[in-house]
Amino acid sequence: MAQDSVDLSCDYQFWMQKLSVWDQASTLETQQDTCLHVAQFQEFLRKMYEALKEMDSNTVIERFPTIGQLLAKACWNPFILAYDESQKILIWCLCCLINKEPQNSGQSKLNSWIQGVLSHILSALRFDKEVALFTQGLGYAPIDYYPGLLKNMVLSLASELRENHLNGFNTQRRKKISLPMSAVVCLWLRHLPSLEKAMLHLFEKLISSERNCLRRIECFIKDSSLPQAACHPAIFRVVDEMFRCALLETDGALEIIATIQVFTQCFVEALEKASKQLRFALKTYFPYTSPSLAMVLLQDPQDIPRGHWLQTLKHISELLREAVEDQTHGSCGGPFESWFLFIHFGGWAEMVAEQLLMSAAEPPTALLWLLAFYYGPRDGRQQRAQTMVQVKAVLGHLLAMSRSSSLSAQDLQTVAGQGTDTDLRAPAQQLIRHLLLNFLLWAPGGHTIAWDVITLMAHTAEITHEIIGFLDQTLYRWNRLGIESPRSEKLARELLKELRTQV
Amino acid sequence: AGAFAHLMESLLQHLDRFSELLAVSSTTYVSTWDPATVRRALQWARYLRHIHRRFGRHGPIRTALERRLHNQWRQEGGFGRGPVPGLANFQALGHCDVLLSLRLLENRALGDAARYHLVQQLFPGPGVRDADEETLQESLARLARRRSAVHMLRFNGYRENPNLQEDSLMKTQAELLLERLQEVGKAEAERPARFLGSLWERLPQNNFLKVIAVALLQPPLSRRPQEELEPGIHKSPGEGSQVLVHWLLGNSEVFAAFCRALPAGLLTLVTSRHPALSPVYLGLLTDWGQRLHYDLQKGIWVGTESQDVPWEELHNRFQSLCQAPPPLKDKVLTALETCKAQDGDFEVPGLSIWTDLLLALRSGAFRKRQVLGLSAGLSSV
Repeated sequence: MAQDSVDLSCDYQFWMQKLSVWDQASTLETQQDTCLHVAQFQEFLRKMYEALKEMDSNTVIERFPTIGQLLAKACWNPFILAYDESQKILIWCLCCLINKEPQNSGQSKLNSWIQGVLSHILSALRFDKEVALFTQGLGYAPIDYYPGLLKNMVLSLASELRENHLNGFNTQRRKKISLPMSAVVCLWLRHLPSLEKAMLHLFEKLISSERNCLRRIECFIKDSSLPQAACHPAIFRVVDEMFRCALLETDGALEIIATIQVFTQCFVEALEKASKQLRFALKTYFPYTSPSLAMVLLQDPQDIPRGHWLQTLKHISELLREAVEDQTHGSCGGPFESWFLFIHFGGWAEMVAEQLLMSAAEPPTALLWLLAFYYGPRDGRQQRAQTMVQVKAVLGHLLAMSRSSSLSAQDLQTVAGQGTDTDLRAPAQQLIRHLLLNFLLWAPGGHTIAWDVITLMAHTAEITHEIIGFLDQTLYRWNRLGIESPRSEKLARELLKELRTQV
Repeated sequence: AGAFAHLMESLLQHLDRFSELLAVSSTTYVSTWDPATVRRALQWARYLRHIHRRFGRHGPIRTALERRLHNQWRQEGGFGRGPVPGLANFQALGHCDVLLSLRLLENRALGDAARYHLVQQLFPGPGVRDADEETLQESLARLARRRSAVHMLRFNGYRENPNLQEDSLMKTQAELLLERLQEVGKAEAERPARFLGSLWERLPQNNFLKVIAVALLQPPLSRRPQEELEPGIHKSPGEGSQVLVHWLLGNSEVFAAFCRALPAGLLTLVTSRHPALSPVYLGLLTDWGQRLHYDLQKGIWVGTESQDVPWEELHNRFQSLCQAPPPLKDKVLTALETCKAQDGDFEVPGLSIWTDLLLALRSGAFRKRQVLGLSAGLSSV
């Protein structure tokens, strides 16, 4: 008991000093310091109360002559009063000071003073006079309108924070409110509209000047804190759902797919950095897929030796095919869910065409299937089989052409079967286009005919944009995976630059 | 039926007596109170709070109690006319104990013994819990907590939003106004106009006008945080807006002040949302415009009296209206063209204010289009 008493005295001195420095917490520094200490201070208050309640008023004053000051300073600090139960405990402490039967004027004055403090804690705030008159005039007491007012103020603050967070900090604002990551996550977990607005902001960027520049999109995504927040499965699911909707609404727009891929990559990076505690089972992020498939897809190509990429792709293809074609298991959502999962992982998805072109051998059926699936998830079995046949044929021609000494744009055009009697549907057309582009970038003589071929290909603005997107994405991917081919890269950059001037 | 009537009668009497008690609690009369009186008073409050919880969903009892309270208010001369507001509606019963406690706590006339007892009752300390409902201590602690939170946000994080309709203080006042209007409307059909009239007389007018504008811009189906207990009775807040529009249209003095005091952008928004207001607004603008004459020396349009609306303000308002979506924008342009025609359809500046306004609006729009890189000559203005 005696030791407790000594401890209390030490604490008392410490907190007295703190409170004097904090005063009414009107500067940013005092506010921050108060907030850091507010929980400890509450513990101190509890201990104080335990001690005070055993004494009568006079003993309290004897023991702690400056207690009035300490309590008053605390009561004039709104950060302390607003915290948890501190206001209650402060009131209890104040009550311990009240004299039941004041014997002299000093004690009466003390009683009166305590009454004043109690009133202050509970009284209406001195607002703008007009607001006070208005609410009173309508017959409302603060207890009526504080909840509504708080709600409006918090919503207003939340939207301001969101803007600050997304746009960088505007130095014109009087006070910069910066939230730590944990607070942002808390906000998004509790207030769905904030999260949705952050995502909509991202989509806005996509249709604006950042269109078709994955590097900038990556920067924006990283700055938005969405990937780190998405380590929280609830947030991931909301974000993923919004991506899913965007894809469905835009009928599989390539820009959205590319963004999903960049986002997923940032997300996986963030997941690795997150502490072990935050690791959730894969199933919480991807509930509609088999864990084995998710695990394979989550592997970074960089972590696997290049020679094994083909094998991994085959494995992915098998697992996906199983999920898609197996009706009895009834994988939730059917082919779309499998496809949606697959497109998240751009490292693998965008690699298939390249791998097919690079190998001189007979193109593996698994990869043909994967490519056809990637570009045409809604195709039935027969249609997909047909596409696979067409792709195989094209690959064969391209292989032959790559061995010849000179290339001509016309030949390539013929190979692609564009504008001729072959009836190609849009997904297959896109697929073949991308195969050709890949070929142009990699084939030794590609650069000589590249521009001609593209000119022939890009007969609509839409296709031009698609080609720009493809080139940008390819460069971005090569950069990330460390694929070095100076000639191809140079060609891609030149083409990109030229095409960008045309739109 | 007899038992029910008896219960109702005793409840109503209790309500009456408590309202008297509440009124007395902030007067010096409490100096005669001893601890026992304080205890009884708090017990009565607790009982009424219990009634509130018990009969919140019971239509007839709730309605009867509410009607009694509305009557009391009418006798007192309307909401807020007395020095201290009493219980306004059934909802207020939910925290009548807090209201009573606060008045007693702040009342310096209360004797030492009575005060000591009061404080003990209000703040008995830890370990006192009620299984059913929140204790008075908790309610008071919560009030203190909220008060501080508002304080923190108001004096540290708050900045007045230039878009008044998004400002949190304005929004809150608007929500309160709409809520009261709804209640007043429930009592009697013709009361709302009288109620608004009395507010216009009593309250700071500038602020009141702003609140009305913000109330007229509130989203149609928002839920009021206070209306939790009785979802059925809840009318759509759109009706409150209608009452306000009606009142504005019926009070030319108020509407003139409304249009004069509020910023152009806000008025455009309000008029877009409530088309009934546009003819009157346009009419006012036309009147204001006609009061100006052309000063040849200075080369500008000026008024004769100090309260005349200056050219800049007039131009501002028309400019804002021309940026509104159709049909308002079209109405405005038509009105301007008509006035110009009536004046003689001049194209030369300095003869008709309407010509000059149209010229100014067109050149402003032209400049804007140039800045935005749009091709000239395609605008309708």
